[in-house]
Amino acid sequence: MPDILTKTLWDSRRSLAGFAVGTALVGAMYAGFYPQVADGAMGEAVDGFSPALREALNMEDIASAAGYLGSSVYGIIVPLIAVIYGIATGTRAIAGDEEAGYLDLLLAHPVGRTRLLLHRCAALAIGAFGLAALLLLAMLAVRPSAQLDTVSIGQFAAQSVALALLCTVFGAIAIAIGAATGSRAAALAGSAAIGVLAYATNTFASQIGADGLRYISPFHYYIGNEPLRNGFQWADLGILTAAVGVLVLIATAAFRRRDLTS
Amino acid sequence: MEEVIQLEKLTKTYGTRRGLLELDLAVANGEVFGYLGPNGAGKSTTIRLLLDHIRPTSGRARLFGRDPREDAVELHRRIGYLAGDFVVNPRQRVGECLTFLADLRGGVPRARIEELAARLDLDLAARIKALSKGNRQKVGLVQAFMHRPDLLILDEPTSGLDPLVQQTFLDLVREAKAAGQTVFMSSHIMTEVEAVADRVGIIREGRLVALDTVARLRDHARHRFEITFTGPIDQAALAALPGISDLTINGPTAGFALATDPNELITVLARHQVASLRASEPDLEELFFAYYRTTEAAKETARA
Repeated sequence: MPDILTKTLWDSRRSLAGFAVGTALVGAMYAGFYPQVADGAMGEAVDGFSPALREALNMEDIASAAGYLGSSVYGIIVPLIAVIYGIATGTRAIAGDEEAGYLDLLLAHPVGRTRLLLHRCAALAIGAFGLAALLLLAMLAVRPSAQLDTVSIGQFAAQSVALALLCTVFGAIAIAIGAATGSRAAALAGSAAIGVLAYATNTFASQIGADGLRYISPFHYYIGNEPLRNGFQWADLGILTAAVGVLVLIATAAFRRRDLTS
Repeated sequence: MEEVIQLEKLTKTYGTRRGLLELDLAVANGEVFGYLGPNGAGKSTTIRLLLDHIRPTSGRARLFGRDPREDAVELHRRIGYLAGDFVVNPRQRVGECLTFLADLRGGVPRARIEELAARLDLDLAARIKALSKGNRQKVGLVQAFMHRPDLLILDEPTSGLDPLVQQTFLDLVREAKAAGQTVFMSSHIMTEVEAVADRVGIIREGRLVALDTVARLRDHARHRFEITFTGPIDQAALAALPGISDLTINGPTAGFALATDPNELITVLARHQVASLRASEPDLEELFFAYYRTTEAAKETARA
């Protein structure tokens, strides 16, 4: 039955395809540089960095496949694109469509606000997992030629699931802010600010001597325990999932209570 | 008779701005109700309250005896809604959009959608972004009428429609009425409401300032007369008529407005030789502005 979920995915197919293909291409391209890095040129350059900088950039072990992927591909570029996708999708899901006037019509139909919000969240999560899956396929495709065989398929999969959940968390933050305020600008700016702060907290917490702070950052649960080396981190995945759950609950409660903006 | 819409002291304030003030209104089953007022008077606020898009500050609304908020999903099955600025995602095709909306209601026969689209001369294969404002509004009309809802809530439904399509729209409303559907339509265009409505409410600054049948509102209205006499005019007799105003004599022709029934006038005319008589049907437009002039005048007085 065509419902809000499938319609949302269908309407966002171009954006989703663009982000997924872009992420996969960029990821595969950077992964393809690994043989040169393993040759030592990059390793020597990084050796010149101070230990603190190396730690901050997660480059202590740049020469290993897991170390290289964890610092470059999965450390910065890919999560950046995925989080941007999540925030853009989450912003559009409620506040964007509300400001555009689309929600007036939908909610005049036999569609409850809770159902609308849950379908929009599900579309976000499906998109995030689709993006992560395409990236996984791309990585597995270049894995033999890029000499990434030391990272197992399972370890790639573990990092991909964490990526999908990270993307969903930031999308859910945008949905929650949009559901509470009805403001597209607030949803976009708020979730983007939280994203930057969360990334900075995870990256620099130990440098400023506040190691515990990183536990409030979703990025820690995404990559802190190195799924590329250690496989599935079920506790971390559970925490990210729980965060999505709490955000959806908050969003639903706020959205049911307020007036739609006109 | 069952009341389809029942508003009791319905009030909505936006911060310090007043949206609606203690609005009492009932619309009966099968009625076509015209809800008139200028932009910003509170028409859309009322409609958004009915649809549970916004919640009342105080007072209550009932649709089919049920609460717009608690029973929103059930009520919306029985409602067709059209906004004056109907907007949907412009990247989809008309047919795709209508099928999706129909499926949210559990489906509408394809033939029904095609019939309405054909009557409105709407191309189902077109992309919505390629449509003019008027053609987009037709998409809105089709989705509001296609599932033959018990209650049609139409907010400024004819904005952007050309006159020919407006006629089709009025036909659709008449058919809905004939089928026993209830219609609640807001407008600032009097003539379209006048043509189909059983009753009319006039709202101004969040308050209902007039509520009556179209026929009775019309009775209160001033009829304009232009009478050409063949003989001399008894100006004094005309001027003495109850409810007469704006009397002008221009050669053999007398023009004036009459606020009462024309019985006295006929008695006077019977003593004259009349060459021609023209009485214009008062439209609600005139009535409507009469209400505003009164309020404006009262304001001026208050200020002075």
